[in-house]
Amino acid sequence: MKTTGASEDIIQILNPADCFTLAMDEEIRKEQMPGSLCGFALELAHTPDIKALEQRIDEFGDRFPLAFASLQQRGKRFFWCTREQRHPLFYQHTDVNHADEDAFHKDTVVKLLNHKQQRETLPPLEFHLICSASKNTFLMRWIHPFCDARGADLILKYLCTESLEARNGFDLPKLEPLVSIQLAKYKWWQKIGFFLKAKRYIAKLDSLQSIIHADTSLAPRQLNFNTYTLSLEQTRTINTLARQQVGLTGTSLYYAGCFMRALHKMNPEQPGEAYCTPYAFNLRKNKALSPLLSNHVAPLFAQAPKALLQDKAALFEHLKQQNSQAMREKLDYAFLPVMWAASWLSLEQHGEKLRKSVYTGAERNSFWFSDIGHVDLSNSAFFGSEISKIYHLCQISSPPALAFLSCQFNKQLTFSYNFIEPLFTQEWIEHLHKNMLEELLSL
Amino acid sequence: MKQKIREFIFNELIFVAEPEKFSDDDDLLDAGLDSMGIMRLIMHIEEQFSVTLPDSEIDPDNVNSFNALEQWILQHKA
Repeated sequence: MKTTGASEDIIQILNPADCFTLAMDEEIRKEQMPGSLCGFALELAHTPDIKALEQRIDEFGDRFPLAFASLQQRGKRFFWCTREQRHPLFYQHTDVNHADEDAFHKDTVVKLLNHKQQRETLPPLEFHLICSASKNTFLMRWIHPFCDARGADLILKYLCTESLEARNGFDLPKLEPLVSIQLAKYKWWQKIGFFLKAKRYIAKLDSLQSIIHADTSLAPRQLNFNTYTLSLEQTRTINTLARQQVGLTGTSLYYAGCFMRALHKMNPEQPGEAYCTPYAFNLRKNKALSPLLSNHVAPLFAQAPKALLQDKAALFEHLKQQNSQAMREKLDYAFLPVMWAASWLSLEQHGEKLRKSVYTGAERNSFWFSDIGHVDLSNSAFFGSEISKIYHLCQISSPPALAFLSCQFNKQLTFSYNFIEPLFTQEWIEHLHKNMLEELLSL
Repeated sequence: MKQKIREFIFNELIFVAEPEKFSDDDDLLDAGLDSMGIMRLIMHIEEQFSVTLPDSEIDPDNVNSFNALEQWILQHKA
């Protein structure tokens, strides 16, 4: 889509949901961190067919040239613009003699997710294959305004799809940004109504001060992560308990609620009145292959007052009611006009609205949360190699300096705890995971 | 009723290449209806058909096909 504008190099304007993620990119960069880099990692049982992989990535670049674009500000707005030269999309990192293979893989992923580069020159998307003597990791790294997690999932699906005919079906039919399509369904007075509704909702959330566990006296240094893959048996038990406690409609809320309780156990005296976490509501239809790129999400929040954390049943009832109320009142759609209006603000003002309490100016989010559910890659294979594990990564603003990301692959749950050092330490996160497991596996 | 539910699900919640070939007994959960989708569907049904579907009955057996959904709604339709 070529947009008419002041510059001939403009490919596409950022949609309101892209602007929302760009504002977070700015917030992270303001903390001298790399911006909103995200990752999707596949651990592979064997070395994949590298030649075929490289060819498929080249094909992807040819079909989706936005992968080579540059983010540029023109006037008040941001655009994807063409570059003079294409950058490589695929990189290999090999060390067959490394004494500690796990450390080599983790260090490489950490390094890639902490790579600092100016927004304008940073490639929106890169693929990295990390190989050692007996371990292989394929990492897709992207900057958030380029696509959301569901889009990243679709890109991986594209790469894994063997049939050319099936690959040609990706991103079809071509759709406008879903945020814009949805917004166009409303009359102007309905948009104003939604806008006010969303403002009231935020004001209500902000009436309770959020509990933040990060040591905010320290300056952020780097993103680190711990991943844990649960056994088949543990996953089965958790699925059953989630069904019992929150029902068929609240699996993600089960993780969010358990995570709040696990955090509370770390220090019940931590100042603040409630845990509050944002989560993205994706506007795409499930199983749809379009739209592939850009962001098509709206935010929602889960909040639980401290007083409820002692009583697990009451906590889940509260989270369920809150979620169901949000949908009944169409709050998920209420954020669309807000995102549209905010896309005209400066990045600094936008970031402030996303993060800061309207009453106190303190951080609203206790942690970031994302549950992408079942990852469905064809044949569970990746260029001739079995996929043994999948996990997600994301840079985070500080505070909250903590993100909990979960997915289920091959009937096993994998949790990825992302944290900013030194505001959190590895030991603290390990302890937190022990608490989390206790919470998830007990009645 | 079933037609209206079909339209909502295929327009808003899940992508099926050939909806006309999706039978009333085919599994909606396998087709991609997830927890968030079920929530939205229930809200839609309650609004559209003036019926209240109890939370305690949100079970795969009641939501996994168009026929199951219709049966469930009819049980609660005054």
